[in-house]
Amino acid sequence: MSFTTANGVRLHTTALGAGPPVVMLHGLLIGSLASWYFTAAPALARTHAVQLYDLRGHGLSDRPVDGYDTATMAADLAALIGDRPERVDLVGHSYGALVALAFARAHPDRVRRLALVEAPLPPATFADEHGFLTAGPDHMIAALPPGLREAIAGGRRQAARLLATLRALAYETTLLADLRAEPDLDAAALAAVTAPTLCVYGDRSSCRPAGERLAAQLPDARLAILPGGHYLHLDAKDALTALLVDHLAEHGDG
Amino acid sequence: MTLDPATAAILATVERLVIEVAGDEITLAGPLTLTTSFNADLELESIEFVALAEQLQAHYGAQVDFVGWISTKQLDEIIALTVGDLVTFIAART
Repeated sequence: MSFTTANGVRLHTTALGAGPPVVMLHGLLIGSLASWYFTAAPALARTHAVQLYDLRGHGLSDRPVDGYDTATMAADLAALIGDRPERVDLVGHSYGALVALAFARAHPDRVRRLALVEAPLPPATFADEHGFLTAGPDHMIAALPPGLREAIAGGRRQAARLLATLRALAYETTLLADLRAEPDLDAAALAAVTAPTLCVYGDRSSCRPAGERLAAQLPDARLAILPGGHYLHLDAKDALTALLVDHLAEHGDG
Repeated sequence: MTLDPATAAILATVERLVIEVAGDEITLAGPLTLTTSFNADLELESIEFVALAEQLQAHYGAQVDFVGWISTKQLDEIIALTVGDLVTFIAART
């Protein structure tokens, strides 16, 4: 297992494949680098150097008390990427997509292509609708995708460990407060992003209006809708993977 | 059931690395067998399964291309993986 200290936090990282660099970011709470490892990452690794990492507080990375705002997490990403001559591609799911977007706003010259999967806007929307912000962590289980919810209801070890993680993030860190305080992004804020951007949303997802807004307001973006909900890497694994492979293929330098 | 020595050796390595990534209480219900399911029986978290793959890769080297193997599988196949599936995969490449 590999660990890299970035922005003062010890992050669990996994590198797959070889080729042009792409960094993939997972979503909050139940996400980890496994979200991509078992879905789109292996296919992208056939043609790219894929860098996966556990966001702060998640997976096997350290769980600092604070710094769960997109600006700090984009600084984690900047430190992880380090100084390198070539631009990187970024793929993010949910809040991980917002972190990728924050990085692309701060460093437009360092991003070649961007893929935003189910990025929620305003950022707290997704958590609000599912009661993450108002209910205790025990109710977070109710907001999980059905398959996972059932597995946990029938399980023992996995359920206990997931609940412990949710409780720790909710009660021992500023994650929920940071999420609540995360500002919305307007057209002026999005205008800084120059990378060609693919926005992918589920036809049954409550986040879909965010995708329509991003596709309209980002300077160079297109929207793809796939059958599924918020956890599109699980609901539409093969279709999402094909879209990402195509978007990140070498179409010139653009 | 008696395993041939090569299979038994891989099984022992898998068990050692499972304990390394998930803690030794993971084998409280008994030692790993070829029919033990990573998800239904051991209840490994997905990130622990990644950690196991990383440790296997470090132990066996690049010829055990775990990610290439995973890339050919559907999610339900990954969820249903047994210790025996993994041992067979490793045995074919070592």
